[in-house]
Amino acid sequence: MTEEEKRSLIQKIKENLSDFIYGMASHEATRQALKTRGSMEHLFILITMGDLLGVPILPPYYSLRLLPYVVPQISTWKRRMLREKDLVDALA
Amino acid sequence: MAFWTLLITIVIVILGYRYYTNRVDQQIVAADPKRATPAKMYNDGVDFMPASGSVLFGYQFKSIAALGPIVGPITAVQWGWLPAVLWLIVGVFFIGWVQDYASAMMAMRNDGMTMGGLAYKYISPRARGILLSFLYFYLLLIMGAFGAVVAGLLAAPTVPIGFLILTLAGVLAGQMTYRWRMDLVMTTVVTVLIALVGIWLGTMPWAQSIVKAINGMAGNAEGVLYSTPYGPMKWSVWFWGIIALVFTYFGSVLPIWRFAQPVNYVSFWFVMLGIVGSILGVIIATFTGATGVSFEIPAYIAFNNHLGPLWPILFVTISCGAISGWHSLVSTSGTARQLEKETDAKPVTAGAMYTEAVLAVLAVVFAATAIAKADGSVLYDAANGYKLSVGAGGIWIYGMARFLSVVGIPADLGGAIGGIFLAVMALTVMQLVLRFMRVASAELLGDKIIAFKNPHVGSLVAIAFTLLILWTAFWQRIWVLFGGANQLFAGLALLLVTIWLANEGKKYEWVFWPGVFMYVTTVAALLITAWKSFSAAFAPDTAAAFMVGNLIAGLIGLFLAIAALILAWDGWKSLSTARSKMAAAPSGD
Repeated sequence: MTEEEKRSLIQKIKENLSDFIYGMASHEATRQALKTRGSMEHLFILITMGDLLGVPILPPYYSLRLLPYVVPQISTWKRRMLREKDLVDALA
Repeated sequence: MAFWTLLITIVIVILGYRYYTNRVDQQIVAADPKRATPAKMYNDGVDFMPASGSVLFGYQFKSIAALGPIVGPITAVQWGWLPAVLWLIVGVFFIGWVQDYASAMMAMRNDGMTMGGLAYKYISPRARGILLSFLYFYLLLIMGAFGAVVAGLLAAPTVPIGFLILTLAGVLAGQMTYRWRMDLVMTTVVTVLIALVGIWLGTMPWAQSIVKAINGMAGNAEGVLYSTPYGPMKWSVWFWGIIALVFTYFGSVLPIWRFAQPVNYVSFWFVMLGIVGSILGVIIATFTGATGVSFEIPAYIAFNNHLGPLWPILFVTISCGAISGWHSLVSTSGTARQLEKETDAKPVTAGAMYTEAVLAVLAVVFAATAIAKADGSVLYDAANGYKLSVGAGGIWIYGMARFLSVVGIPADLGGAIGGIFLAVMALTVMQLVLRFMRVASAELLGDKIIAFKNPHVGSLVAIAFTLLILWTAFWQRIWVLFGGANQLFAGLALLLVTIWLANEGKKYEWVFWPGVFMYVTTVAALLITAWKSFSAAFAPDTAAAFMVGNLIAGLIGLFLAIAALILAWDGWKSLSTARSKMAAAPSGD
C-alpha cells in the first residue's frame, strides 16, 4: 500500500466515523428541524398561493408580488401536498 | 467466559453478515445500486432526502437500540445465560436482520410507503385499521414497560441529581447552539463537562441522602405501598415514574430544538462512553482479573419460572437484539426514505441489527457475571431459582460500575453513568412514542371529541394511561407483554414482506418461516401472559390496585392476540392469491 493510499484510507475511516457519530447524535434532530421548516414554508405558500388550490386567502395583487419568491418551492410543495400520507408517518 | 461469549458472538455476526446477508442481498432481493430510490425520486428536502450510508447506520442504530437489547436479556437470564445467548445469536442470524433489511427494501420498492400503507396495499383495508389500533396499544406498552424501568433507575440514589443536571446542561446546549449561535465544539465541551460534573455531584453522600429521603416518603423505611405476589410496590416507582413522564411530556410538546434534541445530544456522549468503556473493561478484566468475568448464573436453570415456560416466554422477553417489530417501523418510515442507493440497505439495516445483538450479549455478560453485589446484597436469588431480586436497571448499573472501574472510572460515577445511559435511551424513545400517541389520538378521535386536537390533552391522556399501568401492574409482566406485541409486529412485518416477495415472483421462504415462527410464538406468549394476568387478578386477597393492573395487562394481551389472528387470516388469503399468481406466471420471465 502506497503512502497516498494509506492517507486516503485513514481519511475515509475518519469521514465514516464522523458521519456515524453525526448520524447517532444529530441526524434525527436535523430531520426534525427540516420538517418544522418545511411545515412553516408550506403554510406560507398556502397563505400566499392558496389560489393554486382554489383557496384565495390573500388578494391576488399580493400573491403576484410574492410569486417570484415562492416559485422555487412550488414543485416540492405540490409533491408533499399530493403524497398519500399515513398516520405512521408521525413516527418517522 | 464473558470475553469468549462476546468474541464468539462477534465472529458469528461477521459470518452471518458476510455470507447469508450478502447472498440474500445479491441473489434474492437483487439490490441494484443504479435503481432510483424514493429518497432521490421524491426528494422534498424533508421526508425524502438522500443521506450517506455511514450517517444512516448511526441513525438506524440509535433509533433501534433503546432499552430492549439491555432489559430483555437481563430479565431472560432467569432461565439461564445459555438460552438467552443462543436466542440472541440464532434470532439475529435467521430472523432479526431479515426483518429490518427486508422491510426497508419493501418500502424502498414501494415508493417509501409506511407500514400502514403497505398493509392496506398488500393485505386489506381492514388490516390497516387493525394495525393502527394494534400500534396504539403496542406503544402504550412501550410507555409502561420503559417507564417502569426508568422509574427504577431514577430511584437509585446516585442517578437523579446527575440526571437533572444533565437535562439542564442539554437545555443550555440548545440555547447556546440555536439562540446564541455559539460554536458546536465549544458548546459540546462546556455542556458535556457541566453534565459530567453534575453526574459526579450526584454521587456525593449529600445528594444520595436527598434521594433516599424522597424514596422513604411513603412512611416506612423501605417506601413500600402494598405487597404483591411478585414483591413490594414501592412509593419510589410512583414518584420517579411521574418525574420520568414529566420529562417525556416536555420532550413531546416543546419545540424539538428547545428540549429533546439538545438533551439527547449531550447524553449521546455518555452513551458512547458507557458502551466503549465497558467493552474495554470486559477485555481488560479477562486478562488482568480486575473484576469477575466468570458466569455466576448457571448456563441453564429450568424450563419454567415465575414468568412462564422458556418457550414461548423467553422468545418475547428478549425482543430487540434478536428481532423487534419496532425496527420495521424505523426501517420503513425513516431509513427507506433516506437511502441513497439500494445497496446501502444491507450495511445500514442488517449492520445496525447485528451490532445491536452484540450490545444485547454485553447485557447478558453484565447480568450473568454477578449474582450479588460486593456488599453482599442479592441481584439474582440463587436460593429461589435465580429470580431477579432488583430491577433490571439495577443490574445494568452495577455491571457498568464494575466494568468501567476497570478502565479507571470510580465505581459510583460509573454506576451513575450506567443509570443515566439507560434512562436516556428509554426516554428518547418514550418522547417519540408520546408524540406519536398524541398525533394518533388527534387523528382517530379528534373529529368526535374536539379536545383531542389539543396537543396537551392527547399527551396527558396517554400519560394517564401510562401511569395507570406503571402504578398497578408488575413490570416484568408488562415487559413480557411489550415483548409479545413487539415480536408480533415483527411477525406482521415478515408476513407483509412475504406477500410482497410472492407478488414480485421472488423466493420468500427465507422470510415466511421466520414469520410463522414469530407468529406462533408470540400469540402463544400473549395468551399465556393474559391467562397468568387474569389468574393473578382474581386470586384471593389481591390488592385492588394489583387487580386493576393485572386486568389491564390481561385485556391488552387478549386484544393483541385476537388482532394478530385476524391479521394472519387476512394475510394468509393475500398470500394465497399472490402464490396462485406466481404459479400462473410463465416461468423464466
